Amino acid sequence: MIMLDPNLTGLIAILLSIGVPTISAATAIIVCGTAMAGVGTEKPELLSRLIITVVLGEALAIYGLLIAFMLISKLPQMKTMETAFRALMAGIIIAVGTGAAGAGISYAGSSLIGATAERPESYSSNVIGVVLSEALAIYGLLISFMVIGTI
Amino acid sequence: MAEMRKLIAIVFEDDVDEVVRSLGEAGIVQFVDMRQKLDEWKGALTPHTVPAQTSTKCTDLLSRIDASLKALNLQPGIARYEKVEIKQKQTEEVLADVERRLAELPIESLAKASILVTDRKPLLDKISAMPADEQTEIGRRLLDLRRIVDMERRSIEEGTKLGEIREDLLTLQGTVKVEREVSEAEGKFARTAKTIYFEAWVLDDDLKEAMEIVRKATGGNCVITEEPAKHGEKQPVMLKPAPSFMQAFEKLTFSSGYPSAREVNPVPIMAITFPMLFGIMFADVGQGVIFAALGGLLTYFKRKIKLEEAGDIVRYLLVSAEMFILLGLAAIFWGFIFGEFFGPSGVLHPMKLGRIGPFYIGGFEPMHEPMKMIRFAILVGALHISLGLVLKLFNTIREREFKRAPIPVAWLWLLWGGLIMWSYWGGISSISRWFAEGGVMLAGLVLAPLVLLVVFTAIAEGAMEGIGFGVEVFAETLSHTLSYGRLMALGLVHSVMNYLFLVLGGVEHGHFPPMSIPIIAIGTILVMIIEGLIVFVHTLRLHWIEWFSKFYSGEGIPFKPFKFT
Repeated sequence: MIMLDPNLTGLIAILLSIGVPTISAATAIIVCGTAMAGVGTEKPELLSRLIITVVLGEALAIYGLLIAFMLISKLPQMKTMETAFRALMAGIIIAVGTGAAGAGISYAGSSLIGATAERPESYSSNVIGVVLSEALAIYGLLISFMVIGTI
Repeated sequence: MAEMRKLIAIVFEDDVDEVVRSLGEAGIVQFVDMRQKLDEWKGALTPHTVPAQTSTKCTDLLSRIDASLKALNLQPGIARYEKVEIKQKQTEEVLADVERRLAELPIESLAKASILVTDRKPLLDKISAMPADEQTEIGRRLLDLRRIVDMERRSIEEGTKLGEIREDLLTLQGTVKVEREVSEAEGKFARTAKTIYFEAWVLDDDLKEAMEIVRKATGGNCVITEEPAKHGEKQPVMLKPAPSFMQAFEKLTFSSGYPSAREVNPVPIMAITFPMLFGIMFADVGQGVIFAALGGLLTYFKRKIKLEEAGDIVRYLLVSAEMFILLGLAAIFWGFIFGEFFGPSGVLHPMKLGRIGPFYIGGFEPMHEPMKMIRFAILVGALHISLGLVLKLFNTIREREFKRAPIPVAWLWLLWGGLIMWSYWGGISSISRWFAEGGVMLAGLVLAPLVLLVVFTAIAEGAMEGIGFGVEVFAETLSHTLSYGRLMALGLVHSVMNYLFLVLGGVEHGHFPPMSIPIIAIGTILVMIIEGLIVFVHTLRLHWIEWFSKFYSGEGIPFKPFKFT
């Protein structure tokens, strides 16, 4: 394994934990937001329900922010390579978790929006796809959290 | 929830229009769509099809009435409806009568005169505005003409009474619209060779009136009976109107479906659990006060402003005015528990409510002791899910499905058994000890209820369903309980976001320097809008997915009696 400076490794962890979640959040918002704009011109009364897709997408960035903040507060403790690697792993976990959730929300969300425009009563069953995708990020967050707890 | 009865009637073909018309005037019954139920009758009944020319005729007459109103420059108004004479019982007769009366109105000649008035006027005005000496002979002649036209107009306005014609047209319009609705409603009926069969839901209190109406409309030539809803039959539901402060929660609940007849209406319970879960994630005394004050202000404006006149966003805010107060109060409560005042500023100290084993209820700052917070979140989740399961038990008993009653009990056993295992053996990381040392405990607390769940479901539905359900319940219990971890995550996010602004403002140990106030104000606005929305959506999600999936089908149909608009 390449030996790195512990401090630099910690910073890379922070980069991962804030960078990837914001990209995932952006993807979800770009995909769902544009789909929503399309539906909004035809059926504006549905927007208040469909906004859940964009808000859940935005939450991904907030999870990243939370982990990044926790890692920053742990930076002074990252003197050894071992702790630095734990931080790196925490960053990778939240990155992968939110990345998966972002992909899920983008696909399920845009389909949900299209389907709801066509048949509003299908909303309550279709929304499950979006919220279950979002749960993936929560799992990543919990585990990432526990890893940070061991630093 | 008001009791519903099913009205069943057989009437002669010739009487059916009058029956539907009378019921529509009373507005107390909801017709059952017989087209979906014809299979039960095995060919004894066929769908009652209203002839296509009836609806074509309605459309034709309506557009002719509209055109007449336009030609006479009359304002379109609310279509009036007058009870048609009893001798014209059938839609076709009524429509023919309308057509005759429409033809009798002197619309064409009036329209010509009104065109004459409106078209010549600008030219004549122009000429009369010229200086007198420049007016030519033609001008003078035109002025004479104008006088004639003016007189003509006055005679039209006063003599033929345009207002009366307008009234007539609107009455005709109302009559045609009613007939159109009548023939649309009849599309739901079934028929034999000469008779029409229909079913309709009616409130228990209105039953006698509805039967009397049918008897009167047919002159007694009808077969009419009633029965309560059969077991498992879909019936429309009429809920008591919710008090004003629950309206927002009602909207949130019904977005995921309307409660069915024998189901607990979760709105009043949600009015308590929703603010509670919101408060845990948005725990803050200062921002809670702002939220509650905002809610109070909106409640005040709600009484002043008419809801229909407000814009979309304002209307949403006004409808949820009381909800804001509840959310604010819950945020204040949990703010005291977790010691947050505009973030972890050190002004307040966390209050400890109690401790159950490894679960601390309050008495710690979530930001500094996240592990305590996550245990607390899981505990709250287990309690919330348990509430859902108790409601499921209640629903199964109310539906008299006693075979299924043990299922939620075993589920509760599994949930709390798992939770006890988790806390007794010190978390999931020591799972090997669960099997090695706690084998008996594991069997009693987790495996036994799981086996019982499979057995009971197998008895109620069949062996394969039982196994499938067992797997589903195991996965669901785990993932849904874990999902309440978001209470911790978002609670922490809330603290952290506020903390960032506290650091920027230089707040330390509860001392706010004057310079920090604007920074905290900006931070508070940001947090309350962005974070508030996210927390709100997550609270909603916890209710829709984790909570409703336990007990709420949302398959009910609201009771919408057939009524002329």
